[in-house]
Amino acid sequence: MLCQNCGKYEATTHVKRIVNGEAAEAHLCSDCAKMLGYEDVFGGFGNIFGSFLGSFLGDTGVERLSARTLQCEKCGSTFNDIVESGKIGCAKCYETFYEKLLPSLQRIHGKTRHEGKIPNKIAVNGDSKKMQIEKLEEELKAAVDAQNYETAATLRDRIKELKEGGKNE
Amino acid sequence: MSKWYIGAGEQNDIVISTRIRFARNIADYPFPCKLNTKSRTELNGKIRDAVQNDNKFGLSFVEMKTLAGFEAASMAERHIISPEFASDAGGRAMLISPDEDICIMLCEEDHIRLQVMRPGFALDEAFSVANEIDDFLNSKFDFAFDSRIGYLTQCPTNLGTGMRASVMLHLPCLTMNGAITRLISTVSKLGLTIRGAFGEGSEAVGDMYQLSNQITLGISEKAAIENLKSITLQLCAQERAAREEMIKSLDTEDAIFRAYGLLKWSKLISTDELMKNLSLVRLGSVSGKLPVPLKTVNELMISLQPATINAKAGQKLTPRERDFERAKEVRESLA
Repeated sequence: MLCQNCGKYEATTHVKRIVNGEAAEAHLCSDCAKMLGYEDVFGGFGNIFGSFLGSFLGDTGVERLSARTLQCEKCGSTFNDIVESGKIGCAKCYETFYEKLLPSLQRIHGKTRHEGKIPNKIAVNGDSKKMQIEKLEEELKAAVDAQNYETAATLRDRIKELKEGGKNE
Repeated sequence: MSKWYIGAGEQNDIVISTRIRFARNIADYPFPCKLNTKSRTELNGKIRDAVQNDNKFGLSFVEMKTLAGFEAASMAERHIISPEFASDAGGRAMLISPDEDICIMLCEEDHIRLQVMRPGFALDEAFSVANEIDDFLNSKFDFAFDSRIGYLTQCPTNLGTGMRASVMLHLPCLTMNGAITRLISTVSKLGLTIRGAFGEGSEAVGDMYQLSNQITLGISEKAAIENLKSITLQLCAQERAAREEMIKSLDTEDAIFRAYGLLKWSKLISTDELMKNLSLVRLGSVSGKLPVPLKTVNELMISLQPATINAKAGQKLTPRERDFERAKEVRESLA
């Protein structure tokens, strides 16, 4: 059988995973297996592609090619660099590879949505600013429901600041 | 010398110290793995200037390259900086308080690793100090943050709050009766991790353990701390129950007094031998069997690690010379 990833070489690595409750198998040549990171990636948290395999199997050739060459415009990291080093290059990488990283985040933390402290001063732009405001509005609603008016006032001020043009202070 | 292990604080029969660590990165700068030594040094200088212009925490700036290898290693042994940070001085610096209870590592794995330590069990207090310093730093710099996944860090294992809260625990009786193996696997299912606090292997030297939160994304600082608190108190209760039972046995008492005698009279002591026997002496101290103050035990445990002995001597000693110095200090302290 030929490798399902490159279609060129004999598959020597066979991986079986349960993805969304369904068993999925992948047959890879040794090069592709290595490229897809069948080694520990993020410090012993298992390999990033383990949980990824579902989407990988569903990929078309074109998408696969672009995934390989997609590069962070800020620091130049490719996804392969991240997989190999286990390190993210910069904040922009998280934006660039967000979708690709999500399964690993789910695997590492069990969740993918931040709870907790929000910086007072954030460099926000475009979509992330919109999301920031949405999140704060959710919190504001919760604070009002809980009759926690002091927190609500702080949140309302922060939302106002964000809406008015980015950075506070 | 740091004051966080003075033997005071709540639950100090078991909890030696508490630590809170925040990982932060400055927006617009690539993470440290993508910065060369020159850019790291520049960034460190910017952070130094911003902090020292308004230095309400009394922090001093120290470039790691100005420290001898054993001095940096000694700080790692005392848990003031990470072993990884001590191992490579290139483009790294720290902002540190006189008591060494506050240390901001610059260009460790992230631009900023802020650490606050307290003696005993003091998670809320340590968190509140760390949070205040974090707000202060945030007033000077924009932090890399994403509303979906929180504070952005070089390693995705720290995403979210970027917070590691930990307590150092002395668990001699749960180790002796073997219950610790089961407890280690239990806490790992509760989003926490427990490992040896000293040494590099998986074994807990001197029965000292570090219990910390494993998960940082999707759980607030407050919830993570409450979780850690409740598990710590449960472990303390179990350790105390085991102590109460074991201390009744003549064999345990014999072991405690033998350890005391060995420490009191030896001429050469290795680190392993020290830690093994200090664990029993600490048990003897908290149970009132031995006339040794807890402060002395904690101090010996921290101050007689290999690099710390070198740092005190101001030079790199041979292992045998260190064993001699170690035994001498122990004899003097217990005299």
